[in-house]
Amino acid sequence: MRKAVLPALAFALCLAGAAHAAPTTLNILSSDDFAGFRKSVTAEFEAANPGIKINFMSVGYDSLHQKEVTALEGGSGTYDVIDVDCIWTPEYVTKGYIDKVDDKVTGEMKKGIVPAARDILVYKGSYYGLPMFNDVLFFYYNADILKKAGFAKPPASWEEFVTMSQAIQAKKLAPYGSIWGWAQAEGLICYYTAIVHGFGGDLVDAAGNPKVDTPANVKALTFMADTLRKSKVSDPSSITADDRSMLNAFSQGKVPFGMNWSFAWSVFDDPKQSNVVGKIKVGLVPGAASMKVRSATCAGSMGLAITKSSKNREAAWKYISFLASKPIQKRQAIAAGALPIWTSLYEDKELRAKHPALADMSAQLKTAYNRPMVVWYNEFSQVLQVEVQNALAGKKTPQQALSDAQKHIAEMGK
Amino acid sequence: MPSTAGRLRAKPLAARLQPFLYILPALVVVFSVIIFPLLYAFFISLYKVVGPSQTFVGLANYTNILHSDFFWAATGRTFYFTVVSVALEFLLGLGIALLLNQDFPGRGLMRGLLILPWALPTVVNGVLWAWIFDANYGALNGLLKQLGWIKEYVIWLGSPAMAMNSVIVADVWKNFPMIALLLLAGLQTIPDVLYEAAEIDGASRWRRFLAITLPALKPAMLVALVLRTMEAFKVFDIIYIMTKGGPADGTQVISYYTYVTTFQYTKFGYGAALSYLVALVIFLMALVYFKVLGTQEDYR
Repeated sequence: MRKAVLPALAFALCLAGAAHAAPTTLNILSSDDFAGFRKSVTAEFEAANPGIKINFMSVGYDSLHQKEVTALEGGSGTYDVIDVDCIWTPEYVTKGYIDKVDDKVTGEMKKGIVPAARDILVYKGSYYGLPMFNDVLFFYYNADILKKAGFAKPPASWEEFVTMSQAIQAKKLAPYGSIWGWAQAEGLICYYTAIVHGFGGDLVDAAGNPKVDTPANVKALTFMADTLRKSKVSDPSSITADDRSMLNAFSQGKVPFGMNWSFAWSVFDDPKQSNVVGKIKVGLVPGAASMKVRSATCAGSMGLAITKSSKNREAAWKYISFLASKPIQKRQAIAAGALPIWTSLYEDKELRAKHPALADMSAQLKTAYNRPMVVWYNEFSQVLQVEVQNALAGKKTPQQALSDAQKHIAEMGK
Repeated sequence: MPSTAGRLRAKPLAARLQPFLYILPALVVVFSVIIFPLLYAFFISLYKVVGPSQTFVGLANYTNILHSDFFWAATGRTFYFTVVSVALEFLLGLGIALLLNQDFPGRGLMRGLLILPWALPTVVNGVLWAWIFDANYGALNGLLKQLGWIKEYVIWLGSPAMAMNSVIVADVWKNFPMIALLLLAGLQTIPDVLYEAAEIDGASRWRRFLAITLPALKPAMLVALVLRTMEAFKVFDIIYIMTKGGPADGTQVISYYTYVTTFQYTKFGYGAALSYLVALVIFLMALVYFKVLGTQEDYR
């Protein structure tokens, strides 16, 4: 009986509210990453803004692009605010899905937000939204295994990564030095981008056009393929694992090294999902000593943007800037492990105390590189995924695979 | 006696329109969810769609597809998948149907169990087999290693050819029961007297199978093969769950290629043209089947 009272009360309140004034309803489509936290603070936003009701929806990252494209292509105006991955910005702007917010972005935002994150929603000089977290691929290592093997520090270069892995394998402390998310998916391109820059390469030329078959890029791919089939320090099942499923193996505690996003930290730290609580540390992603690169990684932040079809632009911006505000960003970092978008928060004492990896992680942000900003990004990525996998599986030499990829990329967008 | 046509003509207009009124709801539904999308997809297939802008390109999408290496590679893989999986499903289904047509204790239970894989949603089946094939924790590697048949874990979904064959195994397991059920139903319509007469005439078991069972099963075989071939040619969900078209495009079949082109590359015109070509191939396959197996004989 008592249970029935609350819903009835809530219903009555709703009716009373509806009688007052019809509130603006915002439809939000978010990725599942950090959706739990966003939902939890949305109630506070609604309480502070009685005229706005939030209808919050989230889907897994892999279905997000398709869901947004189908909704926006139809032009039905289903969503007011959508979650945009950094690689989709050129496509969404060119196709007219998302709206400029140059009039809304404040000077404080332009100065105070970490540039690598801020720029994910900037295209051709205009702002199209705000980042919701700051993310790059991090290099995680199992300090426990390293100690047993007699190593005090994580590898400083990719060469050292191989020798350390071999030493650990020789001592039977782990079957392989690392497991990667190298399945045919976007994650593969993120790993490849990080390693390419680690070898001093780049996936675009000076003008920003995709150029994948350069000598440095070939070296990076050769390195990846060699860890699978020559030095055998990478788990061969890496080729079927994505960046989510490799976490399972890593959190079992049988892998010394692994690269993943910041959300992985909250998985390692959760005793329900992980056997490695307290054992995982963050080091700099290695670079190739032969190319004199100390560290390089791939950026992968996402942000919220207002759709062009939205009729509630003002309310939508209120919601976006609320989630991007310093207090909420700080709480998101503590509750969900996401790195904040504000430069100043990295010096925040309370945050440093509650997020032990923050100091190590902030060092990595300085060497983060973006994937190519091209309108036909998904097609570019797919072609590159296939050819990189051809090289990893030993079906083609790295040089051949990348030349073939470049040939297809030249025909793209037709 | 007045002709039927004459009687119809004599009816008032309202009475003649009445039947159309009854089928109107069905017509509306069919038009809005089948015919309209079909026509609209054809319309889109003549355009190059980039966001809100659409450019009429005539048949360029179709000619581009026919010149694309990706298309022909995907078509080749689809034919491989279809031929191998349907052949295995058919042989397995026929064997099981013949077995379950025999009288033995527990036959009812066995027939019931047979439906189980087929009743599973494909998504569940895909997840199930993805776990069985998992390189590190999978049941298949565990079993083979305990039996001593393999020394090191095999990465079943790790190379293009092996991934394709693994997906085929998963598909066969799920779909052979349908063929078995259809053939079992067909077997039960064959009168026992035919077999008795043949036995009296001295026909061997093999001869009886060839001369009675196979011809009498022809209609059931036709239905089973046509349904399965079309389904297999359209295969999508199990690929989506198990391999996402990888590794290195090794399981990129034509439906998956259409999906990727349409919804990931957002080339809607190109994707619509692809779907039309796929539909055309399936239609041609159905025609061939009806021609080959189309002659029906009545044994009763």
